[in-house]
Amino acid sequence: MKQRTILSLLTAAALTLSACGGGDGGASASGTTGPVGEPQSGGELTVLEDAAFAGSWPAGLDPATNTTGGSNIAMQQAIYGGLFLLKADDDGSNARVEGNQAESYELSEDGTTFTVTLREGIQFSDGTPLDAEAVKFNWDRALANPCTCKPNWPLAPNGIQVVDPLTISLTFTQPYPAILASFPVSNVNWIASPTALQEMGEDAFKITPVGAGPFTVVENQLSSVLKLERNESYFKEGLPYLDKLTFQSIGGDQPAYQALQAGQAQAYEGMNTTPLVEQAQNNSQLQVTIQPATSPYVVQLNTKIAPFDDPRAREAIYRATDFDAINEGIFGGNYEVADSFVAPGGKFYALEVGGYPEYDVDRAKELVQELGGLTVRLGTISNYVATQINTALQTQWQEAGIDVEIFDAQLSGVIQEFTGGQWQAMLQTAGAWDPAAGVGVGFRFNSTARYSGVVDTELDKLLADAAATVDEDERAGLYSQAAERIAENFYAPFGLAFAPANVAVEGVHGPGLTTKIPPLLVNSGVIWDEVWREQ
Amino acid sequence: MAVVEPAPSFAIGPEIDEAEAKAGIRGRRRGGNLGTWIPAGLIAFVVIACFLGPTLLSLPSPVGGNILESNQPAFSPGHFLGTDPNGNDILSRLLNGGQSSLWIALAVNILGLVIGGTLGALSGYVGGVADTLIMRVLDVLIAFPSLVLTLAVAQALGPSMTNTIFALAFFSIPAFARVARSAVLRLREMPFMAAAKLAGTPAWRMLFKHLAPNIAPQLITFGMLGMGIVIIIEGALSFLGLGIPDPAPSWGNMVATGQLSLSATPMLVVWPSVALLVTVLAFNLLGENLRARWSGR
Amino acid sequence: MTATATTPRVPVSRDPRVSRLTRVTGSPVLRLIVKRLLMAVPIMLGVTILTFWVLSLIPGNAAEQLLGAEATPEDVALLERQLGLDQPGVVRYLEWLQGAVTGDLGNSIVSRQPVSDVLADRLPVTGELVLLAFLISLVLAIPVALLAAHKPGGIMDRISMVVSTLGLSVANYVLALILVLVFAVTLGWLPAIGYVPLEDGLWANLEAMILPSAAIGFPLFCFYTRFLRGDLVDQMQQEEYVTTARAKGVGSWSVLIKHAFRNSSFGLITVVGLNLGALIGGTVIIEQIFALPGIGQMLLQAINTRDFVVVQAAVVIFALVAVVANLVVDLLYAVLDPRIRYGSR
Repeated sequence: MKQRTILSLLTAAALTLSACGGGDGGASASGTTGPVGEPQSGGELTVLEDAAFAGSWPAGLDPATNTTGGSNIAMQQAIYGGLFLLKADDDGSNARVEGNQAESYELSEDGTTFTVTLREGIQFSDGTPLDAEAVKFNWDRALANPCTCKPNWPLAPNGIQVVDPLTISLTFTQPYPAILASFPVSNVNWIASPTALQEMGEDAFKITPVGAGPFTVVENQLSSVLKLERNESYFKEGLPYLDKLTFQSIGGDQPAYQALQAGQAQAYEGMNTTPLVEQAQNNSQLQVTIQPATSPYVVQLNTKIAPFDDPRAREAIYRATDFDAINEGIFGGNYEVADSFVAPGGKFYALEVGGYPEYDVDRAKELVQELGGLTVRLGTISNYVATQINTALQTQWQEAGIDVEIFDAQLSGVIQEFTGGQWQAMLQTAGAWDPAAGVGVGFRFNSTARYSGVVDTELDKLLADAAATVDEDERAGLYSQAAERIAENFYAPFGLAFAPANVAVEGVHGPGLTTKIPPLLVNSGVIWDEVWREQ
Repeated sequence: MAVVEPAPSFAIGPEIDEAEAKAGIRGRRRGGNLGTWIPAGLIAFVVIACFLGPTLLSLPSPVGGNILESNQPAFSPGHFLGTDPNGNDILSRLLNGGQSSLWIALAVNILGLVIGGTLGALSGYVGGVADTLIMRVLDVLIAFPSLVLTLAVAQALGPSMTNTIFALAFFSIPAFARVARSAVLRLREMPFMAAAKLAGTPAWRMLFKHLAPNIAPQLITFGMLGMGIVIIIEGALSFLGLGIPDPAPSWGNMVATGQLSLSATPMLVVWPSVALLVTVLAFNLLGENLRARWSGR
Repeated sequence: MTATATTPRVPVSRDPRVSRLTRVTGSPVLRLIVKRLLMAVPIMLGVTILTFWVLSLIPGNAAEQLLGAEATPEDVALLERQLGLDQPGVVRYLEWLQGAVTGDLGNSIVSRQPVSDVLADRLPVTGELVLLAFLISLVLAIPVALLAAHKPGGIMDRISMVVSTLGLSVANYVLALILVLVFAVTLGWLPAIGYVPLEDGLWANLEAMILPSAAIGFPLFCFYTRFLRGDLVDQMQQEEYVTTARAKGVGSWSVLIKHAFRNSSFGLITVVGLNLGALIGGTVIIEQIFALPGIGQMLLQAINTRDFVVVQAAVVIFALVAVVANLVVDLLYAVLDPRIRYGSR
């Protein structure tokens, strides 16, 4: 097994397979395109999760102590339900955040106060109420979690206030329009029962947590298997459809594919091995749903040191890079190639970025000659698709006369490269569904960010302004200016927009599993309440 | 990976010269020259193909292929065995990868043989406290999970041929040591050893002059049986971040990467496995014949 | 320090036929057991120190590994404090050792679960896997090797040679996937993944374990077959007693089984004993492919999260298994041949 850790794929596997910009990627060639019947209740479902990513929950499933919360969104949705959920039309369009346990929400006009009103009468599965006090209790704990899955709220002192038993408010030090988008990607979305927590104690609670979600925990063997059963007191009438839901960790795409074929499991989240995805698409017993990507690849260039402190060297890389050819050659032209940090599944997507330096190998050769040669060390995280793209990039750049050494490293190796500051080029993914929420675009481009190769106060200001602007059109404008600025200065060429594929056997249906929802971080947020099996 | 550690064959009592002589004759008669030359020729063929083949056949580079020509089937024009998902010529990768794999197998065995062999022989010959000390330290190595060390080397030093060789050699040393020690324990009871000792031959001379030539055949035979295992484990190491770093090929890493999509791209696994099979078969046949000949000295 | 705990050794006899049995007082078997168990202490200490040192060489600590590439240095520092990683490593090792000596293996750094609970869950899975693998490999290897050695160069010998070479050239993870493809996907006879505890029925349990243990057992079978066959042939060709027996007109099968195999079994037992220790930690890939919640899976994850308490616990188990396996091997020598010296292995 390839040794990869928890979040190694967070960076690298937001890279996986992605949206075939529309078209029929949703259903495979298997005839599931026909009308889906009425949902039926009952049955069991076993879902496989890659041991290197979502199938790894070593610190348990308490949202306040789970340090790998970003990878375990599927399990947390099943146990806790969620205050808000990202929903979309079946083809992945019209993505929006909707209240779930939250009935309504309101962002003040100046963008500094956010008020959430809860649905009345929701109870945790231990019978205690999910009220504003419970939410505050959870948020206070969640924000103290060092996990990257905690939100980056610009919270004012005592910014969390219980207004009335069903209403809670957040006050920010600056306008924060990305607040709504920040929920589905972060641990504040999952509300655990304070009573159960106090009774059990933290150490037991993280193993058998109690929430108000569609399922309750029967058995939890960390990073191996999580067995859930229907929550009989679930607040949504008639839901969930399934009687039992099991998450099973498995060592990779190939064993998962075979387990689906053999009937030991009915769904697999996050397949990214290209040849297998293609084979699964041709398998009439399987449905393959390639999710609309939100985080495109980017070749980060370290502008702080040679050779990329010289804009000509950076332009040479832009000119020598042909992601369209990589898309055609390796991925059958199935994916979009992005010009900026927003991919087709994300908010503020724009197909073209003005002034983007297109592929031009002759220009690249000229630049390399002018520079008297160019030697580059290009790295990425060890991951099937990322290493494949790097290999292809090496070939392309060498055609332009650039000397390229490529390497791939495990998570700790990648962190070392960044903190060492001597890295030159890194293939990474950038952005999020909302560029300001979760691990957003600033992460790769802010002057002060640990993993940025760019120092540009203008760009910082554009990104900060965009994050703090309430008006959506104005925000979109600022983001496209930022994208243009990145292109003008040759900071980092963007590439394929990937998202992984979900695979399910025939007869399984559910939002995010067999329909498209833009991925929150890596995998789409499947709404397990509504997943059902034909009996 | 299953680390298979063979142990010495365990014979009881001193061998009788006459029996040995007879066995020798029988061994030679049975093995014949053909039994040695066929596998030796096969090995020579593999070595020549791997080291000279890419030039003689003017094959494309094993890396940096044209991605527009990826995943071509076997017998495509210009690509006898087709291309891999990166558009690299599989035959070229197979032959060039063979170089790495054969080097690794050779280097690991030589290191294991020299270091492990010396330690084991010393331990067996000197006996007493030194024996206990050496064997208990080796016990620690055997009890130590290879996974931990492998990951440590991978993450602290990164993948490279040298690091891979050292990590693999580290685990082959105790096995070689055990083989050597048991062989020495048997040898030291032999009359010629006793005679040499009585004649006042110094210990170092005993070790190198009398012991080494006598235990070497057994160690070399053992090494040959382990060739395939070393090559396979090298591939498995690439999962742990060790091994021959991408995109350079080795048989092991070709298998390891190919199996990630085995059901869609089986040939990526089949070709290197066949190459490995032929090589391992040749080494095993050779090892067996040499063993038969040597044991009949 | 490894030498201190070993009992003083009687110099190895010049004549191997003179057993230590005649020289030691008291029960020699008991002495052997006590001596070996005492030896286990320094071995285990050595292994845990080595593990601790090696782990300290791996860059990244539990906090960094858990939080991933996006974490801020402040968050990492916070988690380090929460996990108690801000103490010097040596202090943490000594604290762990103090607990371990009293039988308390501590709590996982990452999940805070008692390691003994985790082991209790996972050890049976891997234990069963490895034992079944050995069972499969030995039950097949012994008759096949005997058949092959009966007529060296004969048809059975050649077939077994080809088959076992095949087994030694195919990576066990590839074999595992092929087994699943044939027996689970195509034929549908056996499950592709998952573990069924013994409580849920013997057959259900075995059904789930057949493919994974075959994937581990087949290469072992091949190795043992080659190994045993080689040794048997040597015995048949070289040894005096074989010649003597033949001269007395004893049938060749009888010589092979009663004499040669009896002697060759020593070598086989030694290999099996050595393998047992190495294998119990070498099941990671197979456990991942078959989604078995075993100890290999746990070890890999613990290394990835730098959970040194869990790693150490696993290492102690492996070392114990290795020591006990070697001990059992030596005891088996004694059972098979009372003349055997306890000093040599």
